[in-house]
Amino acid sequence: MKRFLTTKGLIGIVLLGLIALIAIVGPMVIPPDAATAMDMHARRAPPGWAHLFGTDQLGRDMMFRVILGARTSLEIAVTAVVISVVLGLPLGLISGYFGGWIDNVLMRLVDTLLAFPALLLALTISAVLGPNIQNTIIAIGIAFTPFLARIIRGEALRVAQMPYVEAARASGTTDGMIMWRHILPNILPAVIVQGTISLAFAILAEAGLSFLGLGTQPPAASWGLMIQASRDQLDVAPWTAIVPGVAVALTVLGLNMFGDVLRDILDPRAK
Amino acid sequence: MTYILNRLLSVILTLFLITLVTFAVTNILPGDVAMMIMGTQSNPAALEGLRQSLGLNDPLLVQYAHWVGGMVTGEWGNSLIFKKPIAELLLQKAVASGIIVVMSMVIALVLAVPLGVWAAVHRDKWQDTVSSSASLLGVSLPDFFWGIVMILVFARWLGWFPSSGFVEPSVDPLGALQRAFLPSLALGLGLMAHLTRMTRSTMTGILSQEFIRVARAKGLAERTVVWRYALANAIGPVITIAGLQVGYLFGSIIVMESLFGYTGMGWLTYQALLNRDLPLIQDTVFIIAAVVMLTNLVVDLLYVVIDPRIRLG
Repeated sequence: MKRFLTTKGLIGIVLLGLIALIAIVGPMVIPPDAATAMDMHARRAPPGWAHLFGTDQLGRDMMFRVILGARTSLEIAVTAVVISVVLGLPLGLISGYFGGWIDNVLMRLVDTLLAFPALLLALTISAVLGPNIQNTIIAIGIAFTPFLARIIRGEALRVAQMPYVEAARASGTTDGMIMWRHILPNILPAVIVQGTISLAFAILAEAGLSFLGLGTQPPAASWGLMIQASRDQLDVAPWTAIVPGVAVALTVLGLNMFGDVLRDILDPRAK
Repeated sequence: MTYILNRLLSVILTLFLITLVTFAVTNILPGDVAMMIMGTQSNPAALEGLRQSLGLNDPLLVQYAHWVGGMVTGEWGNSLIFKKPIAELLLQKAVASGIIVVMSMVIALVLAVPLGVWAAVHRDKWQDTVSSSASLLGVSLPDFFWGIVMILVFARWLGWFPSSGFVEPSVDPLGALQRAFLPSLALGLGLMAHLTRMTRSTMTGILSQEFIRVARAKGLAERTVVWRYALANAIGPVITIAGLQVGYLFGSIIVMESLFGYTGMGWLTYQALLNRDLPLIQDTVFIIAAVVMLTNLVVDLLYVVIDPRIRLG
């Protein structure tokens, strides 16, 4: 536990804790229509006492919107990463454990998928399915699966060669049982580290998709969507880009710092 | 020779798999393509007509064979929105994107290598902290946010660069480079962060090796030791990572070119996706994946040229 207490680890934990708290508690505390209420007398109002972070082109309060956006962005990122772990884990585990032709076939497929830029894959899936929150999650989840499968396969391959796995096999334990009892617990740290880092990428991917109009759709608040809306008013209202931009940056920064420290602790070999 | 032959076979197999994945993503996923193109409110007869003309009523296998057969024989079909042959469109946009990809890679390497070396030489000192904080910040901001900042600062406030558009390099070479510069800088900064981290960790490993100590003991200038001896050994892995980032770059240009109104491959892909131009989507997605795969191959081969110790078996 002590090893979390580096400067980097502390900043990461504090940042993530604060953002998670805001995303969970925020929507309960602020009035339900606060983020969509339009104050037509205060359109593009700069940050001040009435509106702490200013207002956007429709006079909506930027602070309330960025808080609601936190919820949307985090929900999408977390669910998408869970999907990619659920898909990538069995793929990587089976490939790494059995090796041979199974490994060859599966990894050839994964390598092919890796040739598609993740953002392109996510955008295409989202466009084909029709852009909305649910499909954004599916798109990012599928696009991230090959990365996770590759890393999990490498770990499974390493653990499968350990003497205790050999011993279990010699004593007649079934393959399924070995994977469940001996391999899975030992690759879990690497999966957790990779999951944390993937979360950072998922936040960026959601922002990118929404920015292009192929992710979260208005009137929902999401950080990417807010940055998109700011494009035409940069000169008069730069805060409409800066507020959501800083929100994305702080979240991803927190995840990256936390992920780095987590890796040093859980996975000391990967330096 | 056998190596090259094997490699070539593997490339052909991967290209085939890329066509399968591209086709699967655009066709097997639920969703009616005709309805996506015309909207849910369109009349059934018109929808049926479009399905017929796109060949959507044929069995999937026939559609796939038709598409791949067309690609092989050079019949790439026509774009629904641009009403032009896709091959012609792609060729024209590839030049535009090529400029951005090369330029952003050069910017990233020129900034990242010295910064990474600097951090490795002053390991665990303030210089290292500065360098790693800068790269952490770099990977944490979405690159389109950098793009917006660039437009605001360099185009709107300072007026040094045009904020958007594209001109043919053959018409106005200087103007073409000017318009490519800001999007490339925004992409390059994002890339730089990854490459700085990589350069630092590779250099740190090499600087602690015996031959470096020998070189220092010989009394060679520190500058020679770091830049000639150590960096020569570190540049291989850095180039490899840079090559792998090309895939990431081809994802990012979709956002960046759309933001800057720079009409390259990324912009084309975005228009295709936004307007559900199915033939164009299929062809651009395939081409991008193929280019990424071939770049990785070239980087692999380049590695051998840079590092003579590696022999292909």
